[in-house]
Amino acid sequence: MRRLFLLVLISLGFFSGCSKKESLLTFAVGGAPNEVDYWEKLIGEFEDKNHIKVKLLRQPTDTDMRRQSLVTPLNAKEKDPDLFLMDVAWIAQFAASGWLLPLDSCIKKDSFDMARLFGSVVHQVDLYKGEVISLPVYIDCGLLYFRKDLLKKYGCSIPETWNDILKCVERIQDEERKNNPNFFGFVWQGAQYEGLVCNFIEFIASNGGNIMDIAGNITVNSNENIQALQFMRDLIHKYQISPPNTFTEMREEEVRTFFENGNALFERNWPYAWKLHNSQGSPVRGKVGIALLPKFDNGRHAASLGGWHIGISWYSDKKDEAWELLKFILSYEIQKKLCLNLSWNPARIDIYDDPEVKERVLHMEVLKKAFESTVSRPNSPYYTQVSEILQRYVNAAISGKIEPNEALKEAQRGIEKIVERYHE
Amino acid sequence: MNREIREAFFFILPLGIFVLLLMLLPVIGSFWISLWQDVSFLPRKFAGLGNYFRLLKDFQFWQSAGFTLIFSFASVTLEMVAGTIIALVLNESFRFRGIMRGITLLPWAIPSVIGARIWQLIYRYDYGLANYVLRGTSGLSVNWLGSSGGAFLSLILADSWRTTPFVAIILLAGLQSVPQGLYEQAKIDGANLFQRFFKVTLPVIKPVVIVALIFRTIDALRVFDVIYVITGGGPGGFTTSISLYSYKYFLLGDFSYGSTVSIFLFIIAFTITILYIRAGRFREAAL
Amino acid sequence: MKEERIKRILLTLGIIFVIIFCLLPFVWMVAVSLSKTPDFLVRGDYGFTIKNYLDILRLENLHFLDYLRNSLLVSGIVAVSSATIGALAAYAVSRLSFPGKIVIVLSVLALSMFPQISVVGYLYKFMSNIGWINTYNTLIFPYIAFSLPLAFWILLSYFSQIPREIDEAALVDGANRAQTLFRVILPITLPGFLSAILLLFMFSFNEFLFALMLTTDFRARTVPVGIALFQGLHGELPWGYIMAASAISSVPVILIALFFQRRIVQGLTRGAVKQ
Repeated sequence: MRRLFLLVLISLGFFSGCSKKESLLTFAVGGAPNEVDYWEKLIGEFEDKNHIKVKLLRQPTDTDMRRQSLVTPLNAKEKDPDLFLMDVAWIAQFAASGWLLPLDSCIKKDSFDMARLFGSVVHQVDLYKGEVISLPVYIDCGLLYFRKDLLKKYGCSIPETWNDILKCVERIQDEERKNNPNFFGFVWQGAQYEGLVCNFIEFIASNGGNIMDIAGNITVNSNENIQALQFMRDLIHKYQISPPNTFTEMREEEVRTFFENGNALFERNWPYAWKLHNSQGSPVRGKVGIALLPKFDNGRHAASLGGWHIGISWYSDKKDEAWELLKFILSYEIQKKLCLNLSWNPARIDIYDDPEVKERVLHMEVLKKAFESTVSRPNSPYYTQVSEILQRYVNAAISGKIEPNEALKEAQRGIEKIVERYHE
Repeated sequence: MNREIREAFFFILPLGIFVLLLMLLPVIGSFWISLWQDVSFLPRKFAGLGNYFRLLKDFQFWQSAGFTLIFSFASVTLEMVAGTIIALVLNESFRFRGIMRGITLLPWAIPSVIGARIWQLIYRYDYGLANYVLRGTSGLSVNWLGSSGGAFLSLILADSWRTTPFVAIILLAGLQSVPQGLYEQAKIDGANLFQRFFKVTLPVIKPVVIVALIFRTIDALRVFDVIYVITGGGPGGFTTSISLYSYKYFLLGDFSYGSTVSIFLFIIAFTITILYIRAGRFREAAL
Repeated sequence: MKEERIKRILLTLGIIFVIIFCLLPFVWMVAVSLSKTPDFLVRGDYGFTIKNYLDILRLENLHFLDYLRNSLLVSGIVAVSSATIGALAAYAVSRLSFPGKIVIVLSVLALSMFPQISVVGYLYKFMSNIGWINTYNTLIFPYIAFSLPLAFWILLSYFSQIPREIDEAALVDGANRAQTLFRVILPITLPGFLSAILLLFMFSFNEFLFALMLTTDFRARTVPVGIALFQGLHGELPWGYIMAASAISSVPVILIALFFQRRIVQGLTRGAVKQ
């Protein structure tokens, strides 16, 4: 008996050492598969130049899953990952939880020129209690993609308002369906996840509504919002220009592939899709245009502010190396590469004046205009819970489960309860 | 006598240690956490039973509790019926019976997540197997994962698929212990096939059925894996079970509230277990 | 006789039902794993390919082999450890007389009903504090604990079938209790011990919640979590990869189920039904 016991104990002890963590600089990054692949290449370049070994931790494509896979180790005060990308929406939670290393001393030491980055974005999002805790890598906002060949064929102009979209699709959808029964007029992200909130914010802001006003009151339950939400729902059920699985399965990649396979006239997606739509083998190559998202008659153009920022873990054991990699990523050369290869909009202002970039990325003008019409999600540590509530009720409304006014009333109540609970 | 007690103590000690440290202690620990405000971005402070009062007023929670109950009821019913059918089939002697038993075990043997993924694809609206068959036969397609009813149905099917084998095996053992003599007697008395089933088989295997019922019910209340993979709790939070609801709070960094919800589930499961034990069924089986 | 005919028909229908019910999803899984795209039903063309399998086995950054290795190692260790510890306790309960036996048996039964979610929150904090997050230990120890009720029940029912005279004989010959257990009783009940190990292996291999919350990357992550969070190289949920990974991961447990079905069934039902 003793022998067996010893055997078991020894093997337990042995295996506790088995997955010991090697001390490498770990960089956690997710996103669309082609993006992560490209990161591997960039990391290779960094390793060659700096003789620092980097381990890329691949994360899922889904935003929420990426957050989950960061929250778990950070909450557990793990040393890995050392460096990671964060969605704009999470920074407040990460900062307030004490997971981010303040970067001011590094910035000062290396005389890192902060003026090179979009100041407004940094001020909005990257500061916590006066310290810089993250830096932007690229800036994003929602865009309207369209099939310029189809618009031309049916004599439609680029839509300015949602009514224009309806009229355009009316003309085109049934005709196209004769060849392609799976054709839909407008695809957007309606599944129950963070992306839905981005879409929602765009719809309501384009009607003049918002989630929180300047005074900090919750204004979810407003007439403008109800109208916009009703419209979202009608797109699927009443006008039927958006597919029925919009609210079950449509996320960024699903929407992109749907449009890319030639099954849609209009698409709402982030800038990253541009490159893929125009890649070799894409059925819509050369047929795609970009514009600002439409507005309601009395509203304004609105695009959700997205983008990913980079931060160093407070618990990292390789803070200096992480800072080196961070500087590398924000260098002119790499920012330009990311722009040209992944169509990411650089956080560095100087890239926008680069001649090669201006030549290759034709829609820089549209982007600049879109950046002027961005609207951001509420910036609070408990934003993720607010988002959960919005996701749930907006998705329920667009799936037809509950009425829009009911949904927003409940959402308002839920959010107020959260604010009350988590406000310090 | 003393010697045996001492020996028994040492033999049971390892099990006792593991169970104490890794099951009992953590439950108490979770309860302790639920008495605080433990949120990753807020200062820690004592909350007493505050979280529990919050739980009582939490509409979403009661929704998930209701869903969990209805889900358990429906799923267990389906498993019992299907399990009985399968057990009856396996009880007969025919060629390849052994292989059939093996095949029956397969849905239960594989990781729940893998089964869930397969079903998720089957239910996929545009190119899944379910709608392909439906469209072929009736021209309709069901929004399995996008409608509340559809999601509910799809989860019950997926979960029952995985757990029916377990029920079937238990019932099979029960069937095999029915004395043949009873059937002979019933045949002589003129009972036909169906009458024999209801009047002879069922009453005799009743204890086994109850065992399976209790085990499966408590298990169903804890459901997490299939829901996490297939619907994620949607649409609109409709299919969020209690376990999943608790998990979501853990992910949001609110350990205290998540623990509160999980303790609630623990109390329910524990109560049912105690009631069942008290009902005396297990005194005999234990000895 | 008419009744015989009805019975035959029902039986045949029943067999067909069982086969379709159990196997159809597996067939679907394999079909998708060998197809170029998952929407072949709608497309109409089925492009046969083994690329999915090759990719998940070769591509290091999908970490599938890591997940498989982690799962196999952890499950193996847990199975043997838990069976051993369970055997010790079951032996004591079935052989020795001491007060409170019923309490122990009923308590162990009650323990098998513990919801994992009620434990995982505290476990996460605890494991974080001792730095065990994302190691094998963080899974091995909780798995052993949670599978002990199962091990205990199976072995208890097997041991109860062995007459005490055998123990007496060994004791008279000068063996102590431990030696009796390991040199005499276990060899006799080896089939039972094997059943226990197989069932415990399957339990650990399939476990999800603990692995989801207590591991963070490929160094300790297991197959179920890997498949649930799969991230592929070609957009959307990579169904081809997921199904190929599922197929490969199912092989160990399918083999166990098919080849040891009698052992498994015995192990499960011994405790539930009085012979």
